[in-house]
Amino acid sequence: MSKAVVSTRIRLARNLKEYPFPIRLSADKAREIVDKVGEALKDSPLKFHRIDMDSIPDTIRVAMIERHLVSPDFISEKDGRAVYLSDDNTVSIMVNEEDHIRLQVMMDGFELDKAYALAEEVDNILSKKLNYAFHDRLGYLTQCPTNLGTGMRASVMLHLPALEMSGTVNRIGANLSKLGLTMRGLYGESTKPAGAFFQLSNQVTLGISEKAAIENLKNIANQLITQEMRVRDNLLKNIEAQDKIHRALGILKTAKLMDHSEAMKLLSLVRLGVCEKMLETLSADSIDKLIVEIQPASIMTRYGEDMSPRDRDIKRAQILTERFN
Amino acid sequence: MLCQHCKKNEATTVVKTMINGEYAEYRLCHECAHELGYDSMFPDFSADFGGLLSSFFSNALPAISGAAHCNTCGSTLNDIKRTGKVGCADCYDTFFSELMPTIRNIHGNTEHKGKRPNAIEYTVNEDKKDQTESAEDKIAALRAELKKAIEDENFERAAQLRDEIKELEG
Repeated sequence: MSKAVVSTRIRLARNLKEYPFPIRLSADKAREIVDKVGEALKDSPLKFHRIDMDSIPDTIRVAMIERHLVSPDFISEKDGRAVYLSDDNTVSIMVNEEDHIRLQVMMDGFELDKAYALAEEVDNILSKKLNYAFHDRLGYLTQCPTNLGTGMRASVMLHLPALEMSGTVNRIGANLSKLGLTMRGLYGESTKPAGAFFQLSNQVTLGISEKAAIENLKNIANQLITQEMRVRDNLLKNIEAQDKIHRALGILKTAKLMDHSEAMKLLSLVRLGVCEKMLETLSADSIDKLIVEIQPASIMTRYGEDMSPRDRDIKRAQILTERFN
Repeated sequence: MLCQHCKKNEATTVVKTMINGEYAEYRLCHECAHELGYDSMFPDFSADFGGLLSSFFSNALPAISGAAHCNTCGSTLNDIKRTGKVGCADCYDTFFSELMPTIRNIHGNTEHKGKRPNAIEYTVNEDKKDQTESAEDKIAALRAELKKAIEDENFERAAQLRDEIKELEG
């Protein structure tokens, strides 16, 4: 069941009282905040590494997005922005993205409670040294009013190939906003869904506690998974669907050129086949890791920054044939 | 700025994305964004927050707002409307009554529930709580009066009431 949930993410938005929000912040003041956050993190039992956005090449910045360590918005500006990463990359703290602090915890599988507990722990450590902007009535103050209150965005990455194939996903999406939830593509706002991976997250942050928002998200995620499984049962009896899944593995094993979107589509199908015990090949966990590995910038950071798209397609096909054979 | 795709309409959507491993930013109009599949999958508030704010403010009272700009960061209400972003923590107090309808519309609620930072948790005492409760009753009464003043087009009185409410809320 949890195989339909690829990963879990908790994000907390926090700002410092004595500084204007990032939209009105000078680069000097921004750097001051980066230092203060680093200072506060020294009290944490976790070890953090600081990475200044202006000190690393473009490909690494993009590769960090592909690993969900930072957001696309974060790398659009380099000056005065830095990220603190914990040793195992579970916790990432973006400084001066849309808010002064975006604390993120990411875990594999369906682990909302565990991820929130860790986020809260780090948040408590930070709040001992940092003076958070907090309003008695509006809660944690954020640059965009959509995050007021708890400042918490909890999300689960779902793999819903059957609901996507049957076209049910869009209908469900329309109803989610009524429940205070939203569903997006793989890399958050304004991204197209790739390979039937969807991010389900809470939309409302004011007037609902962290615990209640998480429970709500859990319930809806479970309902979506139940529906997905029901549709899968029917779908997989269908010889056309079976054929598609087996062909997907065949192509991954033998292709010489593989662009990114085709790879995502095929990996999504093979992941479905593996979860439903139709295929005997890599595990779902290994496929999830492979999905990150074959992203464009991740290939470039590993195999050379001057690769053309065609070079990457060749490399990608190579990686995939090696793994699946 | 004009849409970079059709070069005709005003751009309303900024797309931050990756194309073949390179970060790219595009400004598109609503139609092109939709056509190219760059609108968020489902309508949600954050994507169009600026527009949402504007639509609310156009119904607001003309020019009786007390503060023209925030004393701390210099943001005007117009800046906030245009960007959908608030300038600093104090803006929420400065433009409280102007922002409130939008906040209510986004969240369906205006009272924070949940975690509070440690430092503040200990400063709340019972006396202060009582005071804020009675202040809230008073604000509700003033709001009702304000609504009536607007209906009667008595803008001078409305402005007065609005300032009073703001003071209580601050």
